[in-house]
Amino acid sequence: MIEFSNIDIIRNLLIATQWTILLSLAAFAGGITVALLLTAARLNKTPLLSIFVRIYVEVFQGTPLLMQMFLCFFGLSMISIEISAWNAAALSLTLFTSAFLVEIWRGCIDTLPKGQWEASRCLGLSFLQTLRYIILPQAIKTALAPSIGFSVQVVKGTALASVIGFVELTKAGSMLNNATFEPFKVFTFVAIIYFILCYPLSWTSKFLEKKFNASR
Amino acid sequence: MPLVKINDVHKYYGDLHVLKGVNLSIKQGEVICIIGRSGSGKSTLLRCMNGLEDYQKGGITVDYKEVTTEDIQVKALAKSVGMIFQNFNLFPHLTVGQNIMLAPTIVLKQSTEEARVVAKKMLTKVGLADKFDSYPEQLSGGQQQRVAIARALAMSPKVLLCDEITSALDPELVGEVLKVVEQLAEEGITLILVTHEMNFARDVSDRVVFMNQGKIWEEGPPKDIFEKPQTEELKLFVNSVL
Ligand SMILES: Nc1ncnc2c1ncn2[C@@H]1O[C@H](COP(=O)(O)OP(=O)(O)OP(=O)(O)O)[C@@H](O)[C@H]1O
Ligand SMILES: [Mg+2]
Repeated sequence: MIEFSNIDIIRNLLIATQWTILLSLAAFAGGITVALLLTAARLNKTPLLSIFVRIYVEVFQGTPLLMQMFLCFFGLSMISIEISAWNAAALSLTLFTSAFLVEIWRGCIDTLPKGQWEASRCLGLSFLQTLRYIILPQAIKTALAPSIGFSVQVVKGTALASVIGFVELTKAGSMLNNATFEPFKVFTFVAIIYFILCYPLSWTSKFLEKKFNASR
Repeated sequence: MPLVKINDVHKYYGDLHVLKGVNLSIKQGEVICIIGRSGSGKSTLLRCMNGLEDYQKGGITVDYKEVTTEDIQVKALAKSVGMIFQNFNLFPHLTVGQNIMLAPTIVLKQSTEEARVVAKKMLTKVGLADKFDSYPEQLSGGQQQRVAIARALAMSPKVLLCDEITSALDPELVGEVLKVVEQLAEEGITLILVTHEMNFARDVSDRVVFMNQGKIWEEGPPKDIFEKPQTEELKLFVNSVL
């Protein structure tokens, strides 16, 4: 059996951490993109679109992320769409993230005065122009803190990708545990790394929230 | 053909019949004041004139364009009709200059330079040439409302709709805004104002329209309306406000 020194363990964990970071970034970038589209759809006057967004949000918020990941990974391959563990994890995390972001942003957008929409309309701005030049720049100020706060959930959510066999931090941890039989040590390292990833995010979120509240 | 033609317009909010057959023609250059009790439908009528509200029966044309709430119609209409709101509705994240230049650049496709020249001209007109780089929150209410007027003027509209544009202002700031409006009236822009400022209506308007219960109850030159009201309702109203 191979001997693992502490340094070896940490080195292996850090290599896997890169994948955790990458998956988080992909999910967050994808989530923002999808959430922007869904936000535009929700605010559009076509009732069918906003009903769709409402159902979408309910479904993804109302079911466990793990089930969403299973369905992406096993479900899609059952209808003979081959999907890698990375793709399945990125896809399901993107959908999950977008559902929460849409809901967070909804609060920020709907509290803007109706007069902002009306003035824009009277000046001849289209719906998308109003969104781009008037609504989003204002909503972003209030949305930033809770969105970054939510990104902590995304980072922690990537741990579930271990279940479908994607080697990120958690999966690397259990593999190292199987090799070393030192669960306490290994998972302490794992936990510390997650904390180092998440703490700056939640700190930033709290900082921005305070700054925003102070400036109001 | 009149610039604004309102023909038997009916408007419902659900079961509430708010406009009950409104007819009104407004010529180019006229200054019209709409007066009436709270809830008589003044704002609703104004908002129907530029597609902010829809109506269920009748027709409205402004500057040869039919008014509907369709996005394309509203966009086309924005080049003929400007609106000033009670709460200014300036864009708080943009400077005064940006507030004014936004629509001319993206809707009228003016170059930034052209738009800047126009914006400065309009700001000078409302007496705020030095506020180009200020943010709305740095201005008083009266100044904000004058910026809103400059913003609307930059689109060079033919008609300006004003809905109680001095109601949110401290009394000492009302005058500066009314002065600007008076100056616009003299320059010949068509103005339709909903107002509670009876002195202003009497001194500045060509015609006063008294609305009651969703109808145009009485209309005429300000002298007639205020001095020789024909209907009991207008008499009561005039006595209550003068
Ligand atoms: N969005 C709305 N939904 C339902 N009812 C409305 C709405 N807006 C206005 N109303 C109703 O329509 C009627 C006319 O309202 P409107 O705002 O046009 O009156 P107004 O003459 O402008 O009054 P005020 O002087 O108070 O501004 C009122 O009975 C009001 O309650
Ligand atoms: Mg009103």
